[in-house]
Amino acid sequence: MSKQSLNKTNLSIAIQYLVARKKQSVLAIIGVLLGVTTFIVMINFMSGVNDFLDNAVFKGNPDIVIKPTSKQNTAQQSYGFQLTNLEGLEEINRQLREHTNVTAYANQTISPAILVSNSQQLPGSVNGIFPIEEKNMVDLDKRLIAGKGFDNLTEKNILMGVSLAKKLQVSVNDTIKIILPNGKNTTLTVSGIFSFGITTIDNVRTYISAKTLQHLLGRSEIITHVNVKLKDRDNLDVKTLLLKKLKSIEIEDWKQNNKTIVVGNKVRDILTWSVSFALLLVAGFGIYNIQNSTVIHKRKDIAVLKTIGYTSEDIIFIFLIQAIIIGLIGAFLALGVGYLISFFISITPLDTSDFIIVDTYPINFSKNHFAIGFLFGVLTTILSGYFPSRKASKVDPVTIIRGV
Amino acid sequence: MILEANNIDKHFLQPQSHHVLKNVSLKINQGELVSLYGESGSGKSSLLYILSTLDTSFSGNLKILGQETKNLSQKELTQFRNKHIGFVYQFHYLLPEFSVLQNIILPAQKLGAKKMNDLKKDAVDLLEELGIAEFVNYPSHKLSGGQQQRVAIARALINDPQIIIADEPTGNLDEKNSAIIFKTLKEIAEKRNNTVLMATHNPNFYNNSHRAIEMINGTLRL
Repeated sequence: MSKQSLNKTNLSIAIQYLVARKKQSVLAIIGVLLGVTTFIVMINFMSGVNDFLDNAVFKGNPDIVIKPTSKQNTAQQSYGFQLTNLEGLEEINRQLREHTNVTAYANQTISPAILVSNSQQLPGSVNGIFPIEEKNMVDLDKRLIAGKGFDNLTEKNILMGVSLAKKLQVSVNDTIKIILPNGKNTTLTVSGIFSFGITTIDNVRTYISAKTLQHLLGRSEIITHVNVKLKDRDNLDVKTLLLKKLKSIEIEDWKQNNKTIVVGNKVRDILTWSVSFALLLVAGFGIYNIQNSTVIHKRKDIAVLKTIGYTSEDIIFIFLIQAIIIGLIGAFLALGVGYLISFFISITPLDTSDFIIVDTYPINFSKNHFAIGFLFGVLTTILSGYFPSRKASKVDPVTIIRGV
Repeated sequence: MILEANNIDKHFLQPQSHHVLKNVSLKINQGELVSLYGESGSGKSSLLYILSTLDTSFSGNLKILGQETKNLSQKELTQFRNKHIGFVYQFHYLLPEFSVLQNIILPAQKLGAKKMNDLKKDAVDLLEELGIAEFVNYPSHKLSGGQQQRVAIARALINDPQIIIADEPTGNLDEKNSAIIFKTLKEIAEKRNNTVLMATHNPNFYNNSHRAIEMINGTLRL
């Protein structure tokens, strides 16, 4: 389309047509509005859920976990309970430090333990950590409900998940006793309580200083696990590399542990796009229909416009701009309506399931979602308006005018 | 010479093969009012659509204002019509949603030579000449048939084209309105010194034209 046809006259003719059939124009706008609104609301909600799970599960858990092979475990279990030290730790740490895809790693000693409070006694486990390393793995400060995080974790403190704290009926500054399988025990002060929003963490996880645990175990150097965060989660090269170099280790990655979540995210994405696409397709067909019938009804107008000096390009513009105006108005309104609906969903209380702990539905108000929805809506209308417009431009004035 | 047609030949293939124009040649001078008459189906309209550059599927040569029309693209032809040729049809073909004024200035807006205020003044002047100035802001569909046809003439004249082509412009009108239209067209030729080429069935009109040409079976009887 040349610049000549983008002028006021053509625009005013187009607007005149839109105003002349208000009902149809409004219906077409509503069609676009519904399509784009649905898209915005759905993608806000679905990606809100995705982000929430991502945040809770992947930010709270390492991408890969390195631990001794289970063969060694079973071999030693015949002697009674004994934690297995991770062999080749220095080599593992060196490889992780040098690997470009590793953003952080942390050594841990994990031991089963019985947690005893004044009123309750629960079997569980304790994670012995090095606060300086662990800080890079888990952003605990954001998830603290009470007390303080890794920075203030001394050898006399314990951090725990909110659900576990409830079960033990303890709060910050209360003390609990931990009893290890070897019979040793110690009393620790609760210095912080955190919540990740998922029960698999909040119900069981505790952090204590690794030194405390090693001391109790009587093995000052023991490390049982190395947790690793990756830059690109899908690239598991480092796992392959380590398994090749060291025979005594076993590596779990996030895919094995969180397959359902990954699949769930994909399903939600597909659902969002297919439903929105279907709705916009319907809206597009609506516009196509309206424009098509207008072109048929207005053949005489088109013919006469052509005889008095309007080129085929002008005619395309006159009809295409109608569709674009419908698309712009519909998509623009959808931004507001989509925001409002998303907002109301985001303040709607949600009954927590066994797996997720949240107060309201998670919504991701990303500007991109609104931008994509807007663009998507306008593109649909341009596409659906184009073919009737081209049809209009091909009207032969002689045939029409002679035909009466 | 304002218009010169040489050996215009045209066949219709649909609905059945028909030799509608047979080697028609015609010359028209400036300021002439020329009428074409003849039986329905004799080829009057076909000739007019070719002479007005709307129909380009013919053999032969057509020169308007010294310009060989075969050398122009469709787009150039559209611009050429916009500037030099005005149309009046049997039916008025006004855009019903548009006001009388908006209808009249459509060709001028496309031409873009004058400012809006000047166009409005031109349009009102034309409507005054045609005796319907009071309807300038009416929606065009509210006017009577005769009034609408006069609005169509105003639209044809707004760019002051050298040639006006009218295809049975009074075909749908009563006697009184027909007379007004004919008088107007004649004045266009005589006062404005523009050329008018008109197809008509009305003997009063073709007998009062500067030149009347009968068309029989696709040929001109000069």
